Amino acid sequence: MSLIYRRKSNDPSFTHVIYDYIGEMKPFIKRVRKPHLLLPMVLFKSIEWGIYRWYKTPIRRFYGVKGNELIYMITNACNDRCPKCGIWERPEPRDQHLMIEHFINCLKRLHHNLYQVTLTGGEPLIFKKDVMLIAEEAKKLNVPMVTITNGRFLEEAFLTRYKELGHILVISVDSVEREKWNEFRGRKNFDIVMPKIMLAKEILGDQLRIQSVLSKESAEEIPKVRDWCKQHGIQFNIQYNQDFGGTWTNAISEEVNYDNDTPCAARKNICIYPNGDVVKCFDHRRIPLAKEPLGNIAKKDIIEILCTKRSTEVSKIMKTCNLPCKNMSCNKPQTLLFN
Amino acid sequence: MSALIIPCYIKTQWDIDCLNRLFDSVQAQTKQFDKVYLIDDASPLTYKLRHDFVEHIILKENGGPAKARNVGIDKALALNIQHLLFTDHDCILDKEWNEQMTSFLDRTEFAAVGGMTYSWGKTIYDYYHDINGTLAGKWLLPDRKELWYMPSLNFGMKAFAADEFPFDERFPTAAGEDVDLCLRLRSKYKIGFCPTAKLWHDYGYKNSFSGFSKFVRLFKKYKSSSATVYEGHTVLMWDSSESIYKGNMQ
Repeated sequence: MSLIYRRKSNDPSFTHVIYDYIGEMKPFIKRVRKPHLLLPMVLFKSIEWGIYRWYKTPIRRFYGVKGNELIYMITNACNDRCPKCGIWERPEPRDQHLMIEHFINCLKRLHHNLYQVTLTGGEPLIFKKDVMLIAEEAKKLNVPMVTITNGRFLEEAFLTRYKELGHILVISVDSVEREKWNEFRGRKNFDIVMPKIMLAKEILGDQLRIQSVLSKESAEEIPKVRDWCKQHGIQFNIQYNQDFGGTWTNAISEEVNYDNDTPCAARKNICIYPNGDVVKCFDHRRIPLAKEPLGNIAKKDIIEILCTKRSTEVSKIMKTCNLPCKNMSCNKPQTLLFN
Repeated sequence: MSALIIPCYIKTQWDIDCLNRLFDSVQAQTKQFDKVYLIDDASPLTYKLRHDFVEHIILKENGGPAKARNVGIDKALALNIQHLLFTDHDCILDKEWNEQMTSFLDRTEFAAVGGMTYSWGKTIYDYYHDINGTLAGKWLLPDRKELWYMPSLNFGMKAFAADEFPFDERFPTAAGEDVDLCLRLRSKYKIGFCPTAKLWHDYGYKNSFSGFSKFVRLFKKYKSSSATVYEGHTVLMWDSSESIYKGNMQ
């Protein structure tokens, strides 16, 4: 065991190694009361430190790597009617919507371990005030944030503040052609949203990303979206179609391989439903032991929920479940997603 | 009521000698245990105990110390024992250990307790472990009012905590299973420190010259559990902490 753990996180680097070594040695040397044993004691401590360092202990925070992503499905409700997604068909009743204070508390409780907080839906910007509250708090806590939106509710004041906070905005776009766009969104809003995307690009710059869902229906459109993004200098990512209750077919995604080596949400993801229920993965219900949520953050402390025996058992099963959702971006580090 | 739970895996005569030495110290307690469970984890060596107060349970298959301790926990809980205390076969208890541990649990709100562990041997490595606090547990900083972690060789739990938080049997060796337990336990309860509950741990160093490889193996063994601890926890509560030694015992 290391002598002292520190909360302060640091990027792994050569200088951090020196800092880490000195930080370990200084308090230890003060403990040596027999001067003639100082040298062997320092040698032994160096050996112990070296063993832990060499094997890269799981004490990720100690070495500056934060291990968790907190994903909040802020609402099921949506102002689009995309056939790829069925989440909008079951908006949560108003009285079951989680009070924002509960999520902020959850964020505060977890922030030392978070490399990212992600807001998704439904359409998160239906709760624009809450999104901004979370964004402000995330900034204070030094946690990067990503919001995934359809872009419909974007406006200048929101984008300007969002830019200042330094967070990432991902807009979901499956076509850049009016007819297909309107078909894919289930609403004729191409002419409304496209200018908003351009405004977002202008204000957010490289803090803007575009993400498309790849399925049989969208396969022909995706290369056009990619080219459009390239032309406008916007980072782009493809998400494979998944069964969220929509009607799109995911034949393409089934061809993609996934196995136990695929980086998995099991260890890193903490997902919150609109009513505060906690799961490790929004597709978690497919696992028999995980049909019921692990707990609810309005009723119980998040760390207590994550430390239950069932929670660790679910993680273990998810590691090798190999369901198609292993291809989803939430199974991968954000840094690998956009190009 | 208190029960002492000791997992063991006996490979050599030295282990048997350790056991006898431990039970001598158990016998000398100012407050006797109501039950003493020795759970043999399918040891390769057969042996007889010379202390008749011990309930000797021999497991058919080796399952690691976590599993062995859970067998003891189940037995103690079935008898409605209130305080479950844990040590290892290579420890020697101070004569007031049981009294101190149980009275601490009785008079405080802590769900678990750890005592102060010293090295038994006198080699340079034993001195190192004493000042390093290798097996002496860790304070939760900055207040030093509760523990971040206490090794299972000098540990006790109230019955409700043991019932709710048994050891995780996925840990195959005596490494990491106590860290895991403390991390889970601390999600709901607090672990207190009782400096007057003393015991000595025999690391088994014969002398300062020949002990080096044993010293290195010890830390490599502790490291071996890291992956299991890491995989088992979505959130690792690596709060700031500091290992305990004589100079910061309070």
